[in-house]
Amino acid sequence: MHWFSLEYIAMNLGFLLILIGLWGIITRKNILRIIISFSLFDTGTHIVIVAIGYIRNRTAPILDTLALQKDTASKIVDPLPQALVLTAIVIGLGVTALLLVYAMKLFETKKTLDIHRFNDLKW
Amino acid sequence: MVTPVYLVVSLLGIAFALGILGKPLRKVAGVITLATMAFASYISVSWFMGLWFGEQSAAMVFTAGFRPPFSINLLMGFEEAFFLSLVNLAGLFGTLFLYRTLMKSGVNAFVILLILIMGLNVIIMTRDLFNLFVFMEISSIATAGIIILNPHQKTISAGFKYMLATGIVAGILLLGIIFFYHFTGTLNLDDTIRVNIEAWKGITVALFFILIAVIVELKPFPANGWGLDVYESVPGGIGMLISTASASAMLYVVYKLLPIAPPVFFQILTTIGIGTFFFSNLLALKQTHPNRLLGYSSVGQIGLITGVIGLSHFLGNQFGLIAASLLISHYLAKAGLFWISGILNKTHIREWSVIRQNRLLLFLFSLFVFLLLGFPPFPAFYGKWELIMQLAGSGQFFWLGAILVASLLEGVYLFRWLGYAMKLEAPAGEPLRVGWNQYIPLGIFGLATFVTGYYATHLSSYGSLINLIPLAFALGFFLIDFLPVYIKNTLAIAGMGFYFYYLYPDLNGFDMVFSAIFLVGGILTLLAGYAYKGKRIGFYPTALMMFAGLIGLVEAKTTLEFFFAWEVMTAGSYFLIIRGKKSMEHALSYMLFSLGGAYLILAGFSLASIGQSTIVLDILATAPLYAPLIFILLAIGFMTKTASIGLHIWLPGAHAEAETDVSPMVSSILLKAGVFGLIILIIRMGEQHLGSLSILYILSWIGAITAVLGNLMAAFQEDAKRLLAYSSIGVLGYILFGLALFSHLGWLAAIAIAVTHFLFKALLFLAIGGVVWRLKTKEMYRMGGLITRMPFTFISVLIGIIVLAGIPPLSGFAGKWIFTNAVIEKEWFFQGALISFAGIIAFLYCFRLIHTIFLGQLKDEHRKVNEAPFWILAPQYIILIIVMVFSVLPNSLLHPIGEMLKPYFPDGALTWQGQYATSIFGYWNGTWVMYVVVAIFLLVFLWLWFMNRKAYRVKQFNIVFAAERPFRPETTHFAYNFFAPYKKAIGFLAEPGVTRFWGHVSEGSHAIAELIRRIYSGNGQVYLFQIMAFIVVVYLISFGGF
Repeated sequence: MHWFSLEYIAMNLGFLLILIGLWGIITRKNILRIIISFSLFDTGTHIVIVAIGYIRNRTAPILDTLALQKDTASKIVDPLPQALVLTAIVIGLGVTALLLVYAMKLFETKKTLDIHRFNDLKW
Repeated sequence: MVTPVYLVVSLLGIAFALGILGKPLRKVAGVITLATMAFASYISVSWFMGLWFGEQSAAMVFTAGFRPPFSINLLMGFEEAFFLSLVNLAGLFGTLFLYRTLMKSGVNAFVILLILIMGLNVIIMTRDLFNLFVFMEISSIATAGIIILNPHQKTISAGFKYMLATGIVAGILLLGIIFFYHFTGTLNLDDTIRVNIEAWKGITVALFFILIAVIVELKPFPANGWGLDVYESVPGGIGMLISTASASAMLYVVYKLLPIAPPVFFQILTTIGIGTFFFSNLLALKQTHPNRLLGYSSVGQIGLITGVIGLSHFLGNQFGLIAASLLISHYLAKAGLFWISGILNKTHIREWSVIRQNRLLLFLFSLFVFLLLGFPPFPAFYGKWELIMQLAGSGQFFWLGAILVASLLEGVYLFRWLGYAMKLEAPAGEPLRVGWNQYIPLGIFGLATFVTGYYATHLSSYGSLINLIPLAFALGFFLIDFLPVYIKNTLAIAGMGFYFYYLYPDLNGFDMVFSAIFLVGGILTLLAGYAYKGKRIGFYPTALMMFAGLIGLVEAKTTLEFFFAWEVMTAGSYFLIIRGKKSMEHALSYMLFSLGGAYLILAGFSLASIGQSTIVLDILATAPLYAPLIFILLAIGFMTKTASIGLHIWLPGAHAEAETDVSPMVSSILLKAGVFGLIILIIRMGEQHLGSLSILYILSWIGAITAVLGNLMAAFQEDAKRLLAYSSIGVLGYILFGLALFSHLGWLAAIAIAVTHFLFKALLFLAIGGVVWRLKTKEMYRMGGLITRMPFTFISVLIGIIVLAGIPPLSGFAGKWIFTNAVIEKEWFFQGALISFAGIIAFLYCFRLIHTIFLGQLKDEHRKVNEAPFWILAPQYIILIIVMVFSVLPNSLLHPIGEMLKPYFPDGALTWQGQYATSIFGYWNGTWVMYVVVAIFLLVFLWLWFMNRKAYRVKQFNIVFAAERPFRPETTHFAYNFFAPYKKAIGFLAEPGVTRFWGHVSEGSHAIAELIRRIYSGNGQVYLFQIMAFIVVVYLISFGGF
């Protein structure tokens, strides 16, 4: 079928990124790498969102040409996921920023970024 | 009504304003924040009230001028208003509590708090899935922002773990939402509820992602290490916000998503929820950090409510009451406990003993613990009651059992903690400082426990039947606790006297006997209270609570009233028992056995209510299903109070270490509650069989063995009060045996002994208590020769033991005589032989009381000891008079009891002619026995007196007649280890085997808890792995066909 079509590639890439991100979060020791892995995970979900909204042979929902403003619904891809992904990206940014603040604070306390050194609370 | 959109507008607007204007508003930021939150609380509470009273109908707010699905809509319905009120009030009072800390942190702290509360508001109201995701993220970011306000390394690492976990969960939620949109074409909940979800192929996975993400946010076991670490590391004031506001909002999300959830989701919720409740409480056994402990408890309670949501199909129209009352209890109790933890700021629960510096805090601490455990009159009591009833009615026995066991585990660590706070030595340190901004929220939440409890009473189906007046009377004494003892004592006696007078016309039969024991007995023991000086803070409210519970048992017509009274009595007696100096662990074990017993009773009542239309106590008689099981559950439940063998280990310590007048209360009066329960049970259910074996026959053996072992253990005690305590176990064994005989004579004996046991045990405990009062020791080998110093006490003890041992001529003998007749009639000779053997052992310990304490040589340090205080002697002599009347005129006691029993056991009654009683096996005349014995006594006495005229009086230190070499201080007293030869012969029977058994149970559960909690390794990555593994496993089990 459309194994090599854009939405399939994008979707698979998205899930691949999600898995790579999760793998990185669980296995890397350096907190910065964990945060980078989290970004990969996040980006993966964004790509999946966009891929879901994609409809073959249609264009972006930006109504800048007159041609697009007629029969719009049949000419553009689903605009909603595109709107959602913007919000998701902003939130992702916020989370990443706060994670980095935490990384900085953690480094200040123990002068290390090894996550195994922060196991004081347990059980 | 203010439109709900102002909730968002005001919180968000003020947060932005504070954020932008920042510095200039520094000084007033706190006040502005509080005002905003008060405004938000006002909006949500007024909606809640309006919707509750039906003055208002639910409102939908459409944003952006479009209808959904083209815009986001917010719903303000009844449930939303309820949850919004919880969240906004938590925000308001939580901010007030943290006011000073936040002022130090600066404006941004207030901004973050406002954003958190705003986020939770939208989470509750929104009907749009993506919007839900956005505001869940905003709330987690805000929470992480609050966590990082505390610059401690542990807090920061906990916050980091929290951020990672919620980040991943949010990602999964987002994936679920987008696929949900892909399949359904809408993000609007109301839209999707209208269409048939299952029509879409592949939607299950999308739904699973959404639902599991929401569940993980509730911190289910075992994927909750990240949440527990946060609870441990943040200050109490912030833990409170997470535990109450955030958790309530997330619970509501679960509830909101139910309409789109596939049926299997309910089973998932139940399993995860109740599993979390169970394991959190199990693991909490090993916790010593107050905040982490509260974290475990929070997670557990939220798990319970999640489980209730999962079970909602089985709960019928009671679901709302159950869920709401459990949630409110969790909410108020956790808020209060986290706040107190914030004030005390300790890292070990043992250090909580500093709380005693502030009585109000201690009161509130106990209040919140009892609230959390679902004691009456608090809301969770009705919630738990209805939950168990409904679960039994729908056959969900597994969950019923799991919930009760987990609740018991919860009781273990909460009561241990409460015990530490009340009894341990307080560590030195700064005096406690509590600001007004901390008192206000605590006080309001404390009051709210009673208010919500009152409403829950009236909302539950049968709650309005309950007579709250005695309990209110008892609790009222908290308000007048500043008065001196004699005023409070007089008021208490007057109150109880009036209540007896008020009840008297309606009393008959068993009710009469037991109300007399409970109330008149209570008054007699209270008389001794006049001997105390000062205020005796906390004694009267709790003692009266116990009596309120006891009389409630008698008044109870329904199972609910009975259980209510039972729990009130347990709570009151717990506080009485823990008053003793060394009573910490004894009170704990008393409480745990009581709790366990109460849950068995609850389970028994719930099984009995299956298929019946009412809950009157008589349903026991008509229970169509599981009758033997109901009987066993209830019997074991009641036997925890009668301290039958195997369930007795709490008694000796609890009774022996108690205060002078508390010992007779808990020993001679409280134990009768169990007897009363057994009577109610057996009279309604009669003889039940397990296969061909009669359960009453088993009970008769338990009774007989309890009698022998109780008495035997009493004989080997060195501590006088412990001796009396063990003796109670033995006598209660007789009573159990008598009830198990299930015949006229058996019951006559049992009830007669119940009455006489009240008399002689109150007498002995008061008398020995008087001795201990003066001598400051309970060890008998430190006493001796007190007959000259305390002659009045000596007479009391002498009479007491004659009654106890059942020696003619006093009333104890009547019991023995009837017993023998009853045994012959029933032909249970083996148990009967054990019972008579137990009677012989009773002679051994009775002899010790008189011999070791009052005879022999007076100790040097006791030469100037005075007679016991008047007010301790006074009740003794009143009891002595009653004993004498019952002895000389036995039919004054036995005849009425016999008449009372005739409706139930018409055959085999005694025939009375004056004081002359005839059974089918023989006759007995109390008055003549008295004459004969007194005559013999006088003859022997005169003879001895005559013979001893010329006896040589030996001075105390003339050791010419002694020939032993003392090698240990206590062995210089000849009465130490008095029955050593007997001990050698049959002492193995008195080995503390049962104590060891329960010790192993306790150690075993702690060891399991220790093992399991190792999964919380503290490593953030391990926690994330657990979350992922949890999700995969739940998926495989629920959808993968495993």
